[in-house]
Amino acid sequence: MLMDCGTCETSGPVQLMTPEVVNVNLTISSKAQEMLVDAFGDDRSMALLVGVLSGGCSGYMYDLQIVEDTDQSCQEVTIDGFRVLVPNASSHLLDGIEIDYVDRLMGGGFKINNPNADSSCGCGESFS
Amino acid sequence: MPRVAYEDASLTVWQGADALQFIDGLSSNKIIDMVQGEVRQTVFTTTQAKIVDLATVFHMGGFLAVQTHTSQLGMLLKHVTPRILDQEVTIVDVTSRNQFCIEFGINNANVGKFESLDGITHGYIDEKYSLLIASLDVESDHIDDLESFHEWRIENQIPWNGFEVTRTNHPLAVGLNQLVHQAKGCYIGQEVLARMISRGRQGKKLTRVENGTIDDKYVTTLGQNYSLAIIRESN
Repeated sequence: MLMDCGTCETSGPVQLMTPEVVNVNLTISSKAQEMLVDAFGDDRSMALLVGVLSGGCSGYMYDLQIVEDTDQSCQEVTIDGFRVLVPNASSHLLDGIEIDYVDRLMGGGFKINNPNADSSCGCGESFS
Repeated sequence: MPRVAYEDASLTVWQGADALQFIDGLSSNKIIDMVQGEVRQTVFTTTQAKIVDLATVFHMGGFLAVQTHTSQLGMLLKHVTPRILDQEVTIVDVTSRNQFCIEFGINNANVGKFESLDGITHGYIDEKYSLLIASLDVESDHIDDLESFHEWRIENQIPWNGFEVTRTNHPLAVGLNQLVHQAKGCYIGQEVLARMISRGRQGKKLTRVENGTIDDKYVTTLGQNYSLAIIRESN
């Protein structure tokens, strides 16, 4: 038999570290709220999904999307009428964040100020 | 061709739609474009670009078989599994079902490919050596002459896990430059390695030295007449 990958039998997956789901508190700066008004218009059926992906220079990357709904298991927070979705799987990384907007020609856009981040990479999109 | 048992090898199976992208985002070589039948090495690194483990990834089609090292597996899993988050990735440890050896002193023409010969998976990971993996029921001949293997490594400046490839070094310092892809984009440790490359300063370098010409503390693999050492570039 070649390399035995154990895929035909019932090899159990290794124990994954699954962080505890926390109830996320977050804030949106006034500048970011202005930009969200521009993005959403009067339509409050859409939501801002604030997620985290693995990768980036520091290990985690922020993932901001405007969505109607998502398959991910999320908790929903409503701030000044804006629906914000936070995936439970990354809730431990996002509790206490501030969603801000930086208005400059280079590197501008939505920014996450995260008290849980020990360090961030140069572009600010990745943190650990 | 001589074969030597690879005692510290481990094998995990990574399944799920996001497995390839997941490894690509956490390690130094470009993995995302791999297709079935290819084998490629990559290095998991910390944010300081220190080595977590050297991995050999076999693209098996529906899943990835990833050879790493038993001595590092706990730390590697601790490094990667918190980052799975919502991604579709499962990891299964199948080390105990397999045996591993290195065939060395060869001239591989199909580097980057793997195939099965006589019931053994041959991964052509380097021009000069192959990684062989077989299930436990396969009779696999190998020599136990580690000394000749390490002499061959010294001659060819091949870094090895536990000797040069350790958690205190970064990939460039141990001669794994070919596993640090310069255009793949962000991964953990990328900023540090990119800075070293762009400035042309990597600090330390793997070197073959004649015994007695350098302080023993720099020697990583001691040979009969020559050794491998990691020394500061200015030394």
